[in-house]
Amino acid sequence: MLEVRNLSLRYGRHRALEDVSVSVGEGETVVILGANGAGKSSLLKAIAGLARPEKGSEITIDGRSLIGVAPHRIPETGIALVPEGRGMFGDLTVEENLLLGANPRRARAGEAERSALVYDLFPRLAERRRQSVRTMSGGEQQMVAIGRALMSNPQYLMLDEPSLGLAPIVVTELFAALDRVKKTGVALLLVEQNVSISLSISDRGYLMEAGRIVGADTAEALKTDAAVQQAFLGGSAA
Amino acid sequence: MLLTALISGLVLGGTYALVAMGLTLQYGISRIMNLAYGEITIFAAFSAFILFSTFGINPLLGMAIVLPGAFVFGYLIYGVMMQPLVSRSSRTGSLEVDSILATFGLLFVIQGVMLITFGSNYTSYNYLNFGVNVLGANIAANRLLAFALAIVIGGVLFLVLTRTRWGTTIRAIAVAPASAPLVGINVNRTARFAFALGTMLAASGGVMVSMYQTFNASMGVVFTMKALVIVIMGGLGNLMGALVAGLLLGLVETFVATYVDPGLTLASTYLIFLVVLLWKPAGLFGKAAGR
Repeated sequence: MLEVRNLSLRYGRHRALEDVSVSVGEGETVVILGANGAGKSSLLKAIAGLARPEKGSEITIDGRSLIGVAPHRIPETGIALVPEGRGMFGDLTVEENLLLGANPRRARAGEAERSALVYDLFPRLAERRRQSVRTMSGGEQQMVAIGRALMSNPQYLMLDEPSLGLAPIVVTELFAALDRVKKTGVALLLVEQNVSISLSISDRGYLMEAGRIVGADTAEALKTDAAVQQAFLGGSAA
Repeated sequence: MLLTALISGLVLGGTYALVAMGLTLQYGISRIMNLAYGEITIFAAFSAFILFSTFGINPLLGMAIVLPGAFVFGYLIYGVMMQPLVSRSSRTGSLEVDSILATFGLLFVIQGVMLITFGSNYTSYNYLNFGVNVLGANIAANRLLAFALAIVIGGVLFLVLTRTRWGTTIRAIAVAPASAPLVGINVNRTARFAFALGTMLAASGGVMVSMYQTFNASMGVVFTMKALVIVIMGGLGNLMGALVAGLLLGLVETFVATYVDPGLTLASTYLIFLVVLLWKPAGLFGKAAGR
């Protein structure tokens, strides 16, 4: 279980997160919905060790605290992040990016099987193993980013707005792949503005506004929730 | 004469390429612009000289002593001098300027120590100093050995960096340091290692130079400048670029010295540097825009 309790975070005077509590169970898919600037990315960054939370905040994985753990040690705990903007090694090839994904020690056993799984999930990457990532389309780069994260043998995979800037057809393809990832038993923590498609693969969801959690429910309930409709879908179902 | 110039040029270029590869590791991966780089080369040349003339250890064996020493020295220098600058720069973003100023000081410290210890005279020693016939050209055996060493060391380094996971983590830092922690890379530790590796390459170039060339305690800056020119020509952090640009520079210098005037070698270095910068500002192999 990945558990965040009373997480507060500030950048200088700006309060990014206030008393946020979120949990993701083993194999569960959870989405955090919220507008730009609601603090969704800050939440993922704090879990990944990239931002330092305030005193009193708790982040634990299976009971072990992650507060103060250096960012480069987080993958070793079983948490992988696909950051906003993807964070690719652009000059390196697809193959090299995946090789680096398997850099954490926990990823060494079964590396070949996982790389086969990634190429199976994204056949287009198999055709472009030797291509440098910077020359690829946004959708393909997102596939590399997800593939790289999967290579680290994660128990929890966090994705920061994977659909951002992609064509609808590519988004559909991407979420179909994520649905398959979910079925392999990896838990997903998703941050999204694309409400309908992210709820379609999720078990539960949280609503975030101005750094606070303002609602939580099952994905089924959120799909028909009036507040969600109002806030994110402009009043009409998408 | 053409063939002799060609082979001599390649030999000289081989040493240049090796020295430049070390600088490209330090600058491209550790983000340290090391102005004291050439002093390490000269210090290693003197070390090889002392080992040979005082202890009778031949430079080939001497390398086995000098290179690990240089690695440790680089590792310590990074820990003592660079680490504080690196930690500070996460806030100020001024690592490049800070490292230039700090290593500018280090340059004079190392140079001063060398001037006191070895004096300011040109030094050389005789090792494998006989001619060998290569395709009809007469080349000194020590130069050929230096070239072979440059190929072996440069080749091994290239293979390690491009074919192993460990080498790929080093290149990953050059490409996107901010993303490295996402795949569990400890940027600080890897940068320190790359810096030490660069120091070792500077020293290996020094041992080679000492085998076939005269040198003195204040010559370091020439090596720093040439290595810097090669690194910029080849593209920052680009090993293959450093290799090709290094060989090119060795050839140009030798041809200018042979056919034009030996006094113009340094001028020719800067001329091709200028041409490359005007024609391909990101280096011969560099990407056109943004990294």
